[in-house]
Amino acid sequence: MHRRGGAGLAALHRQQESLKSYDALSNQLSTEQVETLHAQLDHFRGALTRFATHHRADIRGDPRFRRAFQQMCASIGVDPLAGPRRGGWWEEALGLGDWQSELGVQIVDVCVSTRERNGGLIELAELVRILSRLQEDVVRSIQALKALGAGYEVLELEFGYGHGGGRKMVRSVPKELDADQMVVLAVAAEQRGRVDEELLIQRHAWTAERAGAVLQNMLLRDGTCWLDEQDGPDGTRRAYWIPAAMQWDD
Amino acid sequence: MGVASHLDSALTRHPIPHPPSSSLKPCHSQQPNAATQAAFTEQWMHLLLAYARHRGIFILRIEDAEVTGGGEWDEVLRNPRINRKLKSTQLADIIGTMVRMNLAVYEPPKQMRAVLLYWRLPEEWAEVLHEWATKTGQLNTILTFYEISNPPVPSAFSGAPESLLRSAIAILAKGGRAQLISISDGDGVRFFSRTTK
Repeated sequence: MHRRGGAGLAALHRQQESLKSYDALSNQLSTEQVETLHAQLDHFRGALTRFATHHRADIRGDPRFRRAFQQMCASIGVDPLAGPRRGGWWEEALGLGDWQSELGVQIVDVCVSTRERNGGLIELAELVRILSRLQEDVVRSIQALKALGAGYEVLELEFGYGHGGGRKMVRSVPKELDADQMVVLAVAAEQRGRVDEELLIQRHAWTAERAGAVLQNMLLRDGTCWLDEQDGPDGTRRAYWIPAAMQWDD
Repeated sequence: MGVASHLDSALTRHPIPHPPSSSLKPCHSQQPNAATQAAFTEQWMHLLLAYARHRGIFILRIEDAEVTGGGEWDEVLRNPRINRKLKSTQLADIIGTMVRMNLAVYEPPKQMRAVLLYWRLPEEWAEVLHEWATKTGQLNTILTFYEISNPPVPSAFSGAPESLLRSAIAILAKGGRAQLISISDGDGVRFFSRTTK
């Protein structure tokens, strides 16, 4: 009998010993490989983070660059939303959490779907009510949306006009509201949305031309106010209504 | 359901739930901004069709916005609560848009002062008409147009203009479910059951 390993109880014992050592070696190799992979992944994630941080302005500011970056992440199986911190790696690197992105999408949805009637100007309180979210969250998301360059911004009306002052409006079009338009908004907010030339002339000592011009721009060019030609006791006077400044009944 | 609430609900489709009644005032004026005007026109079309369907009204005339008091359209075209009314020029504009969108046709043709409102499409009217003839046991008998639009028991076709009946019958005739018949005092129609092809 010259069988390798021999026979009997001793041989069986020897075989078990060698199996054990194979197992140990295998475990050791696996652990090493996993550690290497982890190290590589960490290294890669670090590189990606550096890349993202370095190009942070481009990622946030340029939609095409952002899309390319997302595609790159997707192609190598890295989820930019996943990460050690709550809110995700995306938020960590870019300051724009997925949760906040989602709220941003909802804000854009409301602003765009109401734009045909309000010209892209909506009261912040109304937006908060429709979204059923906290005002501070909505404001933070709007600030994040600023990066889109579509004009999303929170505007605060001047104080000093009864309850009209201090009200906040959200603009969702890339048009600047000039100082005169802000005055019109503040006056309208105090009058439950209604404004006319006379009111502006009385309150602000404007000329009729100045009052007419700002209202005409808001009406025709921007679509931020509506015309009412049946105002006054005889139903023939012109008034203007600014939907963003109207009082909303509940 | 009052008309004010019809208009309210027409104006308040998602996402704004409760407009102030003051928001209805500018709806009664033509808007120089094209986007605003389009939005208001759409709400008016929605309201006019909903009201016509609710009341079973077929015809809308521009003069409905001109007559003073008592018209069947007053409830929609006039809103004393906010002291506003829809002017005939704006109504003419809305009617023109409805015709372009195939939500109405000029009735009679070759004028622009009155329309037949399509709160049901001719295809839908054809089905309703056949169903009515079947339910009232009037298959295989000759009915005049007058008998259909002036039934002893009020139906969906009470007061229906002849052109509406003709287009519905033409659709049924194509499927072999009706036959237009010339009789002494104008035209008539005979309906057949579904199985007779």
